[in-house]
Amino acid sequence: MDGVKLTNIRKAFGPFEVIRDVSLEIPKGDFGVFVGPSGCGKSTLLRMIAGLENTSGGRIEIGGRDVTHVEPAKRGVAMVFQSYALYPHLSVAENMGFSLRLARAPRHEREAKVREAARILQLTDHLDKKPSALSGGQRQRVAIGRAIVREPEVFLFDEPLSNLDAELRVQMRLELTRLHRQIGATMIYVTHDQVEAMTLADDIFVLKGGHVMQSGHPLHLYDDPDNRFVAGFIGSPSMNFVSGVVTRADDTGLVARTEEGELRARVLGPKPGPGAEVVLGIRPEHLAPVEAGGLPVRVEVAEELGGQSFVHARSASGSDIVFERRENRARLDGQALRLGAAAEKVFAFTPEGGRLR
Amino acid sequence: MTRRRLENIALAGITLTAGAIWIFPLYWAFVTSIRSDARVVSDGAGLIPDEFNPTSYVDALFNTSLIDWYINSIGTSLIITVVVLVTGMMCAYALSQMQFPGRRLLYLVVLASFMVPAQTLVVPQFELMNRLDLINRWGGIILPQLVVPVVIIVYKQFFDALPKEMKEAVVLDGGGDYTLLFRVYLPLNWGITTALGIITFIMSWNAFLWPFLVVTTENMMTIPVGITQVNDAFGVAYARVMSVALLAAAPVVIAYLIFQKRVTEAVMISSGVKG
Ligand SMILES: Nc1ncnc2c1ncn2[C@@H]1O[C@H](COP(=O)(O)OP(=O)(O)OP(=O)(O)O)[C@@H](O)[C@H]1O
Ligand SMILES: [Mg+2]
Repeated sequence: MDGVKLTNIRKAFGPFEVIRDVSLEIPKGDFGVFVGPSGCGKSTLLRMIAGLENTSGGRIEIGGRDVTHVEPAKRGVAMVFQSYALYPHLSVAENMGFSLRLARAPRHEREAKVREAARILQLTDHLDKKPSALSGGQRQRVAIGRAIVREPEVFLFDEPLSNLDAELRVQMRLELTRLHRQIGATMIYVTHDQVEAMTLADDIFVLKGGHVMQSGHPLHLYDDPDNRFVAGFIGSPSMNFVSGVVTRADDTGLVARTEEGELRARVLGPKPGPGAEVVLGIRPEHLAPVEAGGLPVRVEVAEELGGQSFVHARSASGSDIVFERRENRARLDGQALRLGAAAEKVFAFTPEGGRLR
Repeated sequence: MTRRRLENIALAGITLTAGAIWIFPLYWAFVTSIRSDARVVSDGAGLIPDEFNPTSYVDALFNTSLIDWYINSIGTSLIITVVVLVTGMMCAYALSQMQFPGRRLLYLVVLASFMVPAQTLVVPQFELMNRLDLINRWGGIILPQLVVPVVIIVYKQFFDALPKEMKEAVVLDGGGDYTLLFRVYLPLNWGITTALGIITFIMSWNAFLWPFLVVTTENMMTIPVGITQVNDAFGVAYARVMSVALLAAAPVVIAYLIFQKRVTEAVMISSGVKG
């Protein structure tokens, strides 16, 4: 487990607490992703691991070594920036070999490592070009090559794909996954795009306001969110939420009455009694039209994607409810429906956002 | 179309006239310099060259300390240019990229000194050099000319505009401030550096007031100061004065012709700062 370990990490810029008590561990060779809304502190956390930002408290370990106060170049990390940050006056090969030059590595060693990185990244034909002569995707590959050449224990990526167009982003995402398999080094990746997080990560860390809200395997976070924030953040389109009041509670769950209908959620643990407020969450793919019960809605528009469609409907209380349909393409626009879901697919949350399991 | 033509002709006319006005003194100086002193002051010495008499050039080269002045000018200007660029760049780097108390105040001082005309500093500077016992010494000529705030300001603006990630990439690659400055930032701004180098060189080549005040030993003078000696030692010897003046201006003119584009750039950069 000698990957990256953070213990009680804190960071304050003056009076602003940006990172509050973060402890996490990314095993060696894992692909960890920090994800969260803008301003949640993910870049700051990554930069602290890189050593570009000093820590206000806590301990950072890389490969079992305490690096909290070690200078960036000696931590065994390499970073890939969103803006690439290539050296414009140097060729691709010189860009990639710059760190080895500074370290006064022998020339043949440097050239061999640069060639190897170029081979992995399919940049061999571009080694003599200047960055300005490359496309965005190629530039990002050079930036990754610059990291590979240093043979770091940990690769750090701060939104490396967000300057690329959508198609290239998907392609680079696959390349990153392949690269990770090939190199096997620990990688930490920052993004605000939960799709990127889901597709790349072995472990996702969902951050909000300087806290880790939940961490774990992407599908675990999807299937079993700890709180309303994670439930809403992971998954696209997001989970539907409706608030209601508990009308019945028994061993297997509770029934909540919303403004317009009734839904049953499975809750095995402690649960609030009748009269308590709850928020119910249902993913779009778990909602389907039912004959009786459920939530009455009026369909507004459908996003037809071919294989599936996302139907946007409005409930009587005015909230937007999305559900997914496959195969059946009959138009529903303007129709009134009742939507229901199996009790084990309905998540219950307290009004404060905690999960009732 | 014809309107366009007329405009072009008019513009060409204006440019040519301006050019003629600009070149006339040089032309006259040249015509004078190839005449004998007697011919220069005689009646009917017109604007047309009517005599080719290189005596004044020979005189200027061999009977004055012109060669010494040349060497002095080249030496001091080169030293001043290099030192101004290196210190200016380093100072700007510190002001732009490093965190230390008093940084803003220091920059304000630089800005303020940019507003103070050099002439007003002559008396205290002279007093200072006197106390340091640098009158009639190379140090005395060079030191006060090393302060060129505009160089610091231009470099600082350039450094300020560079993305922070570039610096961080260097830090992660294992480089320090010197690596960043001399192996990344400097190669990124050769244009600015040559431009600033050219204006600094021309400024110190043409500097008159300060070198004139601080040096009285003839063989330590720079060319602009040396010219005054030609006047004094031989009375008003127009031909010789003009030939010395032309020889003095020659390097700058040649440099200008070679680096024309860069000089224009340089003037624009430094006046852009002046606003
Ligand atoms: N140098 C700094 N000084 C003061 N506050 C800072 C500094 N750097 C970041 N912050 C603040 O810290 C918070 C977290 O910033 P950070 O860059 O880590 O966010 P992020 O999660 O990466 O967001 P984004 O997705 O927009 O990149 C923000 O509120 C930001 O304003
Ligand atoms: Mg960020």
